[in-house]
Amino acid sequence: MSSDAAGVSAPPQPSTDSETEGFWQATEKDEFALCHCQNCGLWIHPPLERCRRCAGPTAFDTVSGAGTIASYIVIRHPTVAGYEVPYPITLVELDEQVGLRFVSRLVGTDPEEVRIGQRVQAEIVGLPGGTYRIPVFRLSTR
Amino acid sequence: MPVTALARTAVAGIGRTAFTRKSGRTTLAMAVEAARAALDDAGLAARDVDGIIGYGINDTAMAQDVAFAMGTDGPLSYAQDIFGGGNIAAAIPPMAASAIQTGSADVVVVFRSMNGRSGKRFGQLGGAGIDGPMQFNVPHGYAVATQFAAMWARRHQETYGSTSEDLGAIAITQRTHASANEHAIAREPLDLPTYLASRWITEPLRIYDCAYEADGAVALVITALERARDLRQPPVLIGTSVDAYGPGSSWDQWHDMTRMWSSHAAPRFWSKTGLSPTDVDVACIYDCYTYTVMTVLEDFGFYPKGQAGEFFRGGHATYGGEVVVNPHGGLLSEGYLHGLNHPYEAVLQLRGQAGARQVSGARTALVTGGAGPYGGAVLYTADER
Repeated sequence: MSSDAAGVSAPPQPSTDSETEGFWQATEKDEFALCHCQNCGLWIHPPLERCRRCAGPTAFDTVSGAGTIASYIVIRHPTVAGYEVPYPITLVELDEQVGLRFVSRLVGTDPEEVRIGQRVQAEIVGLPGGTYRIPVFRLSTR
Repeated sequence: MPVTALARTAVAGIGRTAFTRKSGRTTLAMAVEAARAALDDAGLAARDVDGIIGYGINDTAMAQDVAFAMGTDGPLSYAQDIFGGGNIAAAIPPMAASAIQTGSADVVVVFRSMNGRSGKRFGQLGGAGIDGPMQFNVPHGYAVATQFAAMWARRHQETYGSTSEDLGAIAITQRTHASANEHAIAREPLDLPTYLASRWITEPLRIYDCAYEADGAVALVITALERARDLRQPPVLIGTSVDAYGPGSSWDQWHDMTRMWSSHAAPRFWSKTGLSPTDVDVACIYDCYTYTVMTVLEDFGFYPKGQAGEFFRGGHATYGGEVVVNPHGGLLSEGYLHGLNHPYEAVLQLRGQAGARQVSGARTALVTGGAGPYGGAVLYTADER
């Protein structure tokens, strides 16, 4: 595990609030859940207290975690501690809704092998340096 | 109607400090030096100033403090500290113009002062927990604009076949321009092998794709055109100003990573000005990254999608070409002054005072600020009275 100039060896931790805590409560149970309008069905990320389309109430509902890589970068100059460089970060369009995107690390794949359009599946892993759990992506085998 | 109203204000004076990597000075001291230089350029005194606007997102100096320290007399009738960076950089001079038009002030100083290299650098994370929408991204190390821009650039490469060589052509053109600008921080020539061999910051962006961090300050003095005509320098008119913000501020949820704010703003800009890209002599395009220049110029119609490489390599973006892009070297090479050095350069060019890098016969300049989902464009023109 790498550490930064200040000797910190873990990435920054989330500071949750009333709009985001449901996400982290779900990952604690190994579930990937996103903000979902209970009135019109719109998925919203980052989460909002009320739906931006219909102002309806929202809740965190489980998503399939399946999606397609819309773009990716390779981190070679680390911004946070806790990960060996190089590593890929992917912007994934989730199957639930056109334009619903989630950013995370892609694990288990050499950075040189990542391509736009590859299918991925989310899984929940521990975030280094604390007790939070967080979704990452892995290339889909199906 | 708003277009004719805006056309009646002008930049009357410009000032700046040296751009360095370690100023050893406060942002207040630098702002005061730049503001005094701008007033001196205009032939005005501090007592003439009744309005001031500063902006920043990391470090800045408080507008009222700058006015006080430079020696204004009575109370200001207008003072604004704007929270924003590149996204509102272009919109700041038109804000001063609006203040003049509504009678809020007669002479407005606008400034940006920052220790962007030796002070708080962009992308530095504090020790605290990450709140707001970034709490989902920062824990993975997806935290800074370079990474967001890199994500978009990759998508552009996939969709339109743009390449590292194309981004390099932009960096090389601007560095060549900077070599004729003694105020630029980065003036050593750049060639393609050097560009391609340089280190990745976030693949697919290399170090030469990123703005050159700097310490310094820039200030402009803005007043009514009629007043500016009686002052020391030829006025440069502030024309049509068009911004586009969003939808939303998220780079991740933006609908199309191969287009920026400018895809919304450009049609309105051309429609309101009645101009087209061939009418623009100088384009000072906000260039936090080469990819920003590539995409904003596409959105404004200077070349078709994916043709940036041919445009820059073919000499169309430099002297003798169709438009001179960032003749000062831009943020990439003159220095990252958060975009206020762009209208500064436009004014120099439109006055015919740019010396070795003067664009022959420059009468019309397009200045942009911003990248990704938010930004703005302003037309500056020479006084054709």
